[in-house]
Amino acid sequence: MTLLLDIATSAAILFIVATGLLTIFGVLKIINFAHGAWLTVGAYCAVAVGQAGLNPWLALPVAFIAGSVLGLLTERFIVRPLYSRPLDAILATWGLGIVIGQLITLGFGRDVQFTANLIPGTMDILGTSYSAYRIFALVAAVVLGLGFSLLMEGTRLGLSARAVIMNETLARGLGLDTAKIRTVTFMIGTGLAGLAGVLLTPLTSVDPTMGVAWLVGSFMLVMVAGQSFGALALACLLLGGAQVIVSTYISPILGGVTVAVLAAVILRISPKGFARA
Amino acid sequence: MTLTAAVPVARRARLLWILAAAAVLLVVFGPYVLDRFALNVLTRAMIFAILAITVDLLWGFTGILTFGQAAFFGVGAYATAMLLTHVGSSPLMLALAVPVAILVPMILGAAVGWLTFYPGSSDFYATIISLVVPIVITQLIYSGGTLTGSSSGLVGYWGLPLGLEGFFRLAGLCLVAVALAALIFVRSDAGRVLTAIRNNETRCAYLGINTQRIKIALTAALAGVTGLAGYLYANASGVVAPENAGFVFGTELVIWTALGGRGTIIGPVLGAIGIGYLSAQLSGDLPFLWQLLIGSLFVVMIIFLPNGLAALATGFRQSRRAAVVPDLVARPVQRKAHRGDAPLLDIEKLEKSYGSHKVLEDITLSVRPGELVSLVGPNGAGKTTLMRCMTDGAAASGGIVRINGESIAGMLPNDIVARGIGRKFQVASVFESLTVAECLRMARTSLDAPSFVTVSDTLGLSQSAIDILKLTGLDKMLDAPVSLLSHGQKQSLELAMVVALEPELILLDEPTAGLTKTERTTIGAVLKTLTAERGMAAILVEHDLDFVRDISSRIVVLHQGRLVLDGTVGEVVNSDIVKKIYSGGHHG
Repeated sequence: MTLLLDIATSAAILFIVATGLLTIFGVLKIINFAHGAWLTVGAYCAVAVGQAGLNPWLALPVAFIAGSVLGLLTERFIVRPLYSRPLDAILATWGLGIVIGQLITLGFGRDVQFTANLIPGTMDILGTSYSAYRIFALVAAVVLGLGFSLLMEGTRLGLSARAVIMNETLARGLGLDTAKIRTVTFMIGTGLAGLAGVLLTPLTSVDPTMGVAWLVGSFMLVMVAGQSFGALALACLLLGGAQVIVSTYISPILGGVTVAVLAAVILRISPKGFARA
Repeated sequence: MTLTAAVPVARRARLLWILAAAAVLLVVFGPYVLDRFALNVLTRAMIFAILAITVDLLWGFTGILTFGQAAFFGVGAYATAMLLTHVGSSPLMLALAVPVAILVPMILGAAVGWLTFYPGSSDFYATIISLVVPIVITQLIYSGGTLTGSSSGLVGYWGLPLGLEGFFRLAGLCLVAVALAALIFVRSDAGRVLTAIRNNETRCAYLGINTQRIKIALTAALAGVTGLAGYLYANASGVVAPENAGFVFGTELVIWTALGGRGTIIGPVLGAIGIGYLSAQLSGDLPFLWQLLIGSLFVVMIIFLPNGLAALATGFRQSRRAAVVPDLVARPVQRKAHRGDAPLLDIEKLEKSYGSHKVLEDITLSVRPGELVSLVGPNGAGKTTLMRCMTDGAAASGGIVRINGESIAGMLPNDIVARGIGRKFQVASVFESLTVAECLRMARTSLDAPSFVTVSDTLGLSQSAIDILKLTGLDKMLDAPVSLLSHGQKQSLELAMVVALEPELILLDEPTAGLTKTERTTIGAVLKTLTAERGMAAILVEHDLDFVRDISSRIVVLHQGRLVLDGTVGEVVNSDIVKKIYSGGHHG
């Protein structure tokens, strides 16, 4: 039972962390290597809110806004000139990640920070005592996933975004302001990354380099998922599940590379990942 | 012409050797003026500069963005340290560690290369794998227990007894040797193949070059070089740690390469040494500010100056193009031995469908030497698809395509080209960053193995290819960069490249589209000569019926994925069905 819950909640956490990256990759075809930095920014928003003595839940909107405002600037000044050079975009955003990491270090120091747990304690699930926060993360992931499909399927922005995904030239020809769609998508992606950063704080320690480890994992998952949130959920469940199983039964250290290795193998066999399924 | 060609090449070569000699002097006499701190820092930086060179060869020249060099470096370093720690550090072991530190990363590199570069693999995939490899290696090191020293690494083994000055000189000499070898290689004819792959991998494949194999070989060879750097590092520093193999170190290598100037070899060397030295100097006083500065500079450079500081300093685009004008030499055509009397090309019941939509159906066609077959039909009839099915063994969904009696099913384009098929694309597919002569040499790569050290001052081509160059005036522009050619000149160049392959059958997809009347006539004359006099066969996709009538020996009409007519010029041109198709008839 604990194992099942571990698998479900780990997948949920991976999903939360990777959503922002997928949003940007799906529409812009750009891999935002500063993703880890945004997670860190989000986590430090939680730290800052805690230091200011405010309600820890307030960190969520703060991080979303901080993330999207930073995203707006990034899209405008760094990513936009590089749409035709996707590999260079990886590098430029990685460089930006270094810059953000150093700025955070200058502001908060390089020490590990602690934040108030949003939901402390455990709860009983079918007779098993389990971390209440991890259950909350599971719920949050489901809400996030459903919210996103609603946004993509049910709103005008979602329709435009899907049009850009399918055929950007045509979308532009039909009078859609694709530049604006790109900007808004990027902002949503980075905002979500900030949000994910806050949600991570009760689970990991907060330090200026915390994002890097998460970046690689979510990058792999997004590569496997392609452009679909359904595929991302599936990838998180399968690869995250494999990670939990390897960590539990073989070795936690090897568990750490499970996602990366499996993703590489899946992509080698089926270069489009789960996108075709 | 020979004189003007020889001088700049010789001068460049001499300059290179003078530079190398100066660098050796610096390295040998450096320890007399540098303090201990500088010696230490620079020894490390020079070892890392070797890694930056390998990143530059992969990324700057071949276009493979890699973070994985750190992993091969780490493997080399760990192989050395583990051997010295666990087996003992006798002179024998110190000597044995050299081949081990080179071979183990090479084997790993070959395996990684094989995994990464498969037909149709994407650029992103190579980058993904280059992330996975260092992560896996680092985790293996962590889980290695006492064998690898886990998170604290290995320390306390006895390395080469060289002292600070000795290691400085050894690292410096190795760096000079690697840099010199890299510079000679990238300027050689073989080195230009890397640029050609970065530029236009499809064209390389259709010139019979096995690009996957080249990339795998390059990855393996450079993994060996990084392994050697690992050996030096393990000896010089006396400690190896998991960070040495990590992907963060891999990204640092890319940053140094980018800041120094990708695609220049010297730039990345200076970048690695400069940043390494400055980091050590400044990081004590303002550690975070220094990282911040490097990060910001990197972002700005990637956006505004992708070729790095070296481009700014030398304007290397001009100097790199230092004209090498080879002499054109006619080479006899190397005829392939024929097996039996099967037709040159034999297509039987070929089919191609996307899902339930059939693009080609029941195509049966054979072509013999000396024929010039025109393939006509309205847009969407499946002409280009048919061409693709003849040059890519994975394209067809049914039926058989045979070349000289051999089925091409499952073959890659480069295998098919090797069997005597040349393909010219609809949109001229050439190498934008090479010169005309270099493009033509690429076409000869599969026939005359290029040199790894020199730039040849002759260019041997078949007489037919030379004729095309002369007719189109390209023979006077051999040193011109392809990016400056006109549309028509690019079309002619691609035709000359395909003919230089000495194919038995040449496939041409609208070779005259967008050309002037004169250029058309020239190409028409060339094609007639090639087929009628030189015994080559050609299949030509063409819309211009007048042009087709003038030059073809046979015309095949394709309509809605089916072959509706196959006959002589007279038969086809006067047939009712052609008139119907082309006047819009009942099919609209």
